[in-house]
Amino acid sequence: MKPMWKALKRHRYAYLFISPYLILFLVFQLVPTVSTIYYSFTEWNGLRPPRWIGWRNYQLMFRDYMFRDAVRNTFLYWIVGTIGIMTLAMGIALALNTKKLRLKHFFKTATFLPYVCASVAMGLIFRMLFEEHVGLVNEIIALFGGERVPWLASSKYAWFPVVTLFIWRLTPWFTMIILSGLLNISEEYYEAALVDGASTWQRFVHITLPLLGNILFFCFITITVDAWRIFNESYVLSGPGTSNTSLFELMYRSAFTNFRLGYGSALGVVLVVILLALSLIQFVVRRRTGEI
Amino acid sequence: MNYRTKASLFRFGLYAFLWIVVLFCLFPVAWMIIISFKQVGESITGFNALRIHTPTLANYKRLFELIPIWRNLYNSAFTAVVGTATTLFFCSLAGYAFAKYRFPGRNALFYFVVGTMMISTEVGAVPLFVLMRRLGLVNSLWSLIIPRMATAIGIFYLRQYMLDVPDEILDSARIDGCSEFGIYRRIVVPVAKPALASWASITIIARWNDFFWPLLFLRASEKYTLMVSVSMLPVSEGLSTPWQVVLAGTSLVIVPSIILYLFMQLYQQADLVAGAVKG
Amino acid sequence: MKTVQIETMHAGVQKIAMDHLAGAYKDMPDVIMLDTVGIVNLVDAGLLLDMTEYWEPIAHEFVEGAVADATINGRVWALPDAVRPQLLFYNAEIFEKYDIDPAMMSTFDGYLEAGRLLKERSNGEVYLSYIDTGTYTWRYWGRRGLMPQAHARIWDDDGNVVIGSDHGTKLALGFLEKLYNEGLLYRTTMFSPPMYEAIDEGKIATFYIGAFWDEFMRKNLTKTVGQWRVMNAPVFEEIGTGGAPVSTFFCFVNKGDTAYLDLMVDMWYDFQTNTEERNAWVAEMERVNGPYSNPVALKVLEHPFWQEPSEFYGGQSFRKAEADGLANPSPNLMVTPQDNEADGIISAEIEKWVAGEQTMDQAIANMQRELELRIGRAYVIK
Repeated sequence: MKPMWKALKRHRYAYLFISPYLILFLVFQLVPTVSTIYYSFTEWNGLRPPRWIGWRNYQLMFRDYMFRDAVRNTFLYWIVGTIGIMTLAMGIALALNTKKLRLKHFFKTATFLPYVCASVAMGLIFRMLFEEHVGLVNEIIALFGGERVPWLASSKYAWFPVVTLFIWRLTPWFTMIILSGLLNISEEYYEAALVDGASTWQRFVHITLPLLGNILFFCFITITVDAWRIFNESYVLSGPGTSNTSLFELMYRSAFTNFRLGYGSALGVVLVVILLALSLIQFVVRRRTGEI
Repeated sequence: MNYRTKASLFRFGLYAFLWIVVLFCLFPVAWMIIISFKQVGESITGFNALRIHTPTLANYKRLFELIPIWRNLYNSAFTAVVGTATTLFFCSLAGYAFAKYRFPGRNALFYFVVGTMMISTEVGAVPLFVLMRRLGLVNSLWSLIIPRMATAIGIFYLRQYMLDVPDEILDSARIDGCSEFGIYRRIVVPVAKPALASWASITIIARWNDFFWPLLFLRASEKYTLMVSVSMLPVSEGLSTPWQVVLAGTSLVIVPSIILYLFMQLYQQADLVAGAVKG
Repeated sequence: MKTVQIETMHAGVQKIAMDHLAGAYKDMPDVIMLDTVGIVNLVDAGLLLDMTEYWEPIAHEFVEGAVADATINGRVWALPDAVRPQLLFYNAEIFEKYDIDPAMMSTFDGYLEAGRLLKERSNGEVYLSYIDTGTYTWRYWGRRGLMPQAHARIWDDDGNVVIGSDHGTKLALGFLEKLYNEGLLYRTTMFSPPMYEAIDEGKIATFYIGAFWDEFMRKNLTKTVGQWRVMNAPVFEEIGTGGAPVSTFFCFVNKGDTAYLDLMVDMWYDFQTNTEERNAWVAEMERVNGPYSNPVALKVLEHPFWQEPSEFYGGQSFRKAEADGLANPSPNLMVTPQDNEADGIISAEIEKWVAGEQTMDQAIANMQRELELRIGRAYVIK
C-alpha cells in the first residue's frame, strides 16, 4: 500500500492532468457502452420496461439479411474509403508541400472546403447530382456517349454515391494531418538522399513513408472508426431496401425508428466488437513494423 | 528528355492535378450556393442549375421566416466555442502528461486511451440519453459540451506534438522554481500553439456541423442548433419547403465554418511567419 | 405560468418515448398531433387520455367517421383535427390534348386504360403517374392507396402475418405491377426538384394520392397552374369502395396532471367550429401558400367559403372536391404497434421491386417471410 501512495504523491501532477479525461470517459462512455451491452439481451420498445430475452437478438441477427447487407456495405465503405482517402490525401499533401508552389495558400484553403461542409447538407446536393434522369453526373456521362446509370435506384450502384460523399468530405482532414507531418520532416534527410543518388520514388518510400509512420497509423485508425460510423451519408443517399445502409444507420433505425431498442443495442455491440477487432489487427501490424 | 523539360512537365502536371482537385472540392458547394439564389420555379436540374435567370434573396428571407435563425446561431456558436475551448484545455493537459511525465502505468494507460478511440460514443446513445436526463441536462447546451470535454483523439494528436518539446526547457523551468501547472501554462502551451490552433479549427468545425447529438439531446426548438433546424426544413408530409429555401439554409450553415476556417488559417500563417514554430 | 407543448407525428411519439424512458414527465408535450399508428403505440403504453367523455356529446356535429381511426375498444382516444381523403389529381390539359376522357378513370381498369392511351398517343412522352424509388411508393400507393381499397390485409385479426396469401394484396400490388410493367409510371424521387420539373414539363399526368398533395403542388409548380383538376379516387370494380381517408388527431398526454386540459379542449372546439375565425385563418394560409385542410365540423363545411373555386384547379373548387372525396370510404388497414417496423420491411421489398431486382410475387413472398421472422405475431390491441 505504502509504495503506491508514494508513487501517487510523487507523480501527482501527471495523474491530476489525466484524471479529467478518465473520469469523463468512465461516466460518459464506459457506463453507457456497458449499459448497451445489457440492453442487447433484452427486448425493449422504450415505452414498456425492458424484458430479458437472452441471446435472441443475436440469433435473429444471423438470420437477418439487413444485418448482412449492412455489414457488407460498411465493410465496402471502409475498404474503398481507406484506399481512396489515403491515396488522395497523400497525393494532395505532397503536392501542397512542393517547394515554391504558387497560390499555395489558395490551394490549401480551397481543398479544405469539403470538410467544412456538413454531410447532411452535402448529402442533399449529392442526391441531386446522382439523380438518374437529370442528375449532373449522368448528364456528363451521356455527354461522353455513355449510358446513364441508375445510381440510387439500383442495389448494384447505390454504394457509389455514399462512398464518394464520404471520401469527398473527409480527405481534406487527412490531407491536413499528413501535411503537418510532412512539414516536420527535416530537409536534411532528403538532401542526404539526393547526394546518395536516390530517385524521387526511392526518397518517398524510404524517407517520407517511414517518418510519417505514426501519423499514417493514426490516419488508418481514424478512417476505420469514421467508416464504421457512417450514418448521414447512407441515410440521405439511401438506395433500394438496405442495399447501401450502413451498420450504424441500421442500428439507429432499429432503435429509434422501429423502437426495437434491444435489437438496436445488440447491433451496437456488434459494431463495437468489429471496430475493436479491426483496430487490434492494425495495432499488431503496427507493433511489428514500427513504434507507436 | 532533358532535366528542364522534365521539370516543366512535372510543374504542369502538379498544377493540373491541384486545379482538378480544387474543381471537385468547390463545385458541389458552388452549385448549392447558386441554387439558393435562384427563384422557385427555375429549373435546377442538369446543367440548367448553373444559369441564374433572376437572382433573388427571397429564399433567404423565407428561411428567416421559417426558423429562429438568430437563436439557433447562438446555440451553435456557444456549443462550438465552449466545446472547443474545454476540449483543447483538457486534451492538451492530458497529452502533455502522457508526453512529458514518466509515471507508473503510463504506457498501459496510453494504450488504453488509444483503445478507447475505437469505441464510437454513438453506440451508447440510449443509455447516454437516460443519463443526461438524470443529470437534468437534456435540452441544455451543456449536454453537448460536457461528454466530449476530453477526447481520445485529441489527446493522441496533441501528445504527438508535445513529444517534440525539448526536455531541457522544462527541466530548467523546474529548476527555476516554476510550478508544474505554470510550466504547462507558460511554456508548453505557447510552444504547442500551432498544434492547438489546427486542432481547435478542426474541432470547432466538427462541433458546428454536429448533427446526431444535438438531434438527440435538444428537445425544444429554441434550443436547436442551426444544423438541426436546417435539417428539419426539408420535406415531410406537413411541410413542403421548396428546395431552394432548404439550400439557402444549408448555404447559411456553411458560411460561418468557412469564415472561421479562413480566420484560423490566417492566425496560423501569422504564427509561422513570426517564427514561433521550431524548425 | 405553465406552457403547453405541442409536438407532431413521429417526432412526437419519439419524444414521448424518450421522455417516458427517462422519467421526464414534466417535459412531455401536453398535446400531440398524431395519426393512428402513433395513437396505437401510446395507448398501448397508457400514455394518452381517454377522450370519450368529451367526444360523445358533440360527435353529431362532425363528419362521419371523424374519430374512426382513433377508436380502440370502443373508447375514443383523441379529438379529430383533419380527415383527408384519397384523391385523383389529373392534368386536364394533357387529357384534352390527347383526347382522353378523364371520366374513364372512375375505375382502376379505366385508369390503366387511360395510361395506355396516354403512352400510345404521346409516343411514350407522357406517363400516367409516378413511382418513387424510396419509401413513398409503399406509403402512398400501397398502405394508403391500393391496399385499403382492395380490402387487403397485412395481419389477420389475431395478428398473424397473412400478407403473402391475402387476395386483396395480390389485387392491389398486382395492379401496381401492371402499371409499372407497361411503362406507365415515371421513376423518380418523390418531393424532389427533378420530379417537380418533370411534372411542370407535362411528363406526369395524374396523381393517385392523399389530399395533402395539393399543398405541395401549389408550392412547387409554376408552369402547370390552372391545368389541374381533382376527382374521387378510382375504385376496384369488384370491390366498389373509394379511397381511404387519412386522419390526424389531437391527443392529450396522460401526464398525471395535464396542464389546462379543459382549456385546450375548448380551444380545439373553437378552432373546429368557429366558422368565421376558421375561414379567415384558412384564407391567410392560402395567401402564404401554407398547409390547411378541410374542417371536420359539419357546420363549417356548409359555409360557401368551402365551395369556393380555386385558380390552381382552373376554377374547380378544391375544397369542395376534398369534401366530396370523403364519400364511400374504404376502411384503413388495421393498425398495430409493429406497423412502423412492418412498413420498413415491406417497403424494402417494394424498393427492390421498383429497382427491377425482383418480381412482385417474389417481393410479396419475401414480405411474408421477413415479417414472420422479425415480428412473428403482431400485438393487436383489442
